[in-house]
Amino acid sequence: MKRRDFLKTSIAASAAILGTTELSADVHQARNYNNEISEVNFPEKARMIVHSDRPPLLESPMSTFTRGITENDKFFVRWHLPDIPQHYDPDKYTIEINGLVEKELKITLKELKTGFEQVEVAAVQQCGGNSRSSFSPITGGIQWGNGAMGCAKFKGVRLRDILNRAGLKKGASWVGFNGRETAAYYKTPDFVRELNMDELDDHVILAYEMNGEDLPYLNGYPIRLVIPGYYSDSWVKMLSHITVTNKYKHLFFMDKGYRIADNKCECETPDHLYKTTKPITIMNVKSIIGFPENGMKMYHNSEIVVRGVAWDDGAGISKVMVSTDNGKTWDEALLKQENGRYAYTEFRYAFKPAKYGKLTFMAKAINNLGAEQPLSKDIGWNRGGYKYNGIHEVTVEII
Amino acid sequence: MKKLLLITILLTGSLFAQVKGNIEVPYIPYKVKMGKGFTTVQANCLTCHSFGYVLNMGKQPKSFWKGKIHKMVADFKAPITKKDQAIIANYLTEYYGNGKLK
Ligand code: HEC
Repeated sequence: MKRRDFLKTSIAASAAILGTTELSADVHQARNYNNEISEVNFPEKARMIVHSDRPPLLESPMSTFTRGITENDKFFVRWHLPDIPQHYDPDKYTIEINGLVEKELKITLKELKTGFEQVEVAAVQQCGGNSRSSFSPITGGIQWGNGAMGCAKFKGVRLRDILNRAGLKKGASWVGFNGRETAAYYKTPDFVRELNMDELDDHVILAYEMNGEDLPYLNGYPIRLVIPGYYSDSWVKMLSHITVTNKYKHLFFMDKGYRIADNKCECETPDHLYKTTKPITIMNVKSIIGFPENGMKMYHNSEIVVRGVAWDDGAGISKVMVSTDNGKTWDEALLKQENGRYAYTEFRYAFKPAKYGKLTFMAKAINNLGAEQPLSKDIGWNRGGYKYNGIHEVTVEII
Repeated sequence: MKKLLLITILLTGSLFAQVKGNIEVPYIPYKVKMGKGFTTVQANCLTCHSFGYVLNMGKQPKSFWKGKIHKMVADFKAPITKKDQAIIANYLTEYYGNGKLK
């Protein structure tokens, strides 16, 4: 590792304004009821933390978060409904664009790859419920540890170019996305996402490639939506339909899932749920230490290089601060930013332990707008367990 | 020379269509606790997702399990009779409870 490889940014960070409540997140951090790496390997995947087989819920191991790009075989997997088609003929796969458009389109995979400008964007894909198991008391939803995320280089076609080809009619203001996963029971709502036209920018793409390979099957092969900066609940997999409308349709997974208290602190208590909610949309500033891991034994006097990743919604990371004295003092880590503002910033912090016993590393990211991560005890609770971004702590034993 | 050639190929071609034929998602042999009410759980709770969803919650109080059963019925339209809901709540409290009611 060469020091000059690392970019240091110099934008000064101001204090962040973040709400606090009487309820807090678990100081012990992600409970990880299940953080065992499974012996069962899923198609195209390396060993993962498996929360469910049907639908597949696979979490990335912590060691993945020492690198700026997550390998496809270790990239997390999250489906909502149990029926996923088992096979596609790439030559026959099409997506349909319909609704309030001048002309309805049926685009084959081949046309997508040849008939439009091809673009690439590196982006962090993070589930809105990542780190959910750090909230206390327990919230609704799958109790993820910190591994419901990854960062990849996605290649595809701009959604904007496709919508332009179809031509938008007057009044077109919402775009709905549907994939091919289906429920086991006919009354269970379909997993359809809707986005307002205003939310779409040129970085939103229909991706067919991830890190120079076809999308892995479980990551949405052959085509998925990629919305850099946004939580990945709307990154619809195995995309089949894009429907343009003038009205917001009330769909279960839009109206009840992936929403958070619509107040400034985005917080509430189990006894006093906030009356209105809003979609989770853009990611907050966060960092995770990938190495070392909790409970590791490390050698006295042997230099430890703490490695991790930091990201936000695309404003960009300006600093990652590391503390080895429980937050009394903070020291700046070295940064490496080579994949653009939507990608992970890698950080490194070298530390030589002089004392035996327990040692805790804490990492805090600060972005270009001055927003910084709160301590885990200051995190506001919300019923869905979304947007957890408390400062990550890793405790090792120096022997 | 050979090595150089390999690099060029890697640069021009990417790794496509790595999997041929049908994808099979493996089954996980979940260690489920057998006991009173299990058959009711099996009949009602495994249609839409695996038992992994239950294990993922950790040990929880009775009110928590009742709330989850209610969520399945109200939000996801799970067709579970009142009687079965009660049996399932008791099973989950017995085997995946934390000894507390609330
Ligand atoms: C009709 C389909 C259906 C049935 C039947 C069903 N569930 Fe679910 N369950 C769901 C869906 C859909 C989700 C949410 C999936 C998601 O968000 O990805 C879910 C999620 C869960 C979760 C995760 C926690 C949460 O808050 O989302 C638990 C625990 C759970 N179910 C338990 C049960 C139990 C116990 C039963 C039997 C009483 C059951 N389910 C029956 C559809 C069902």
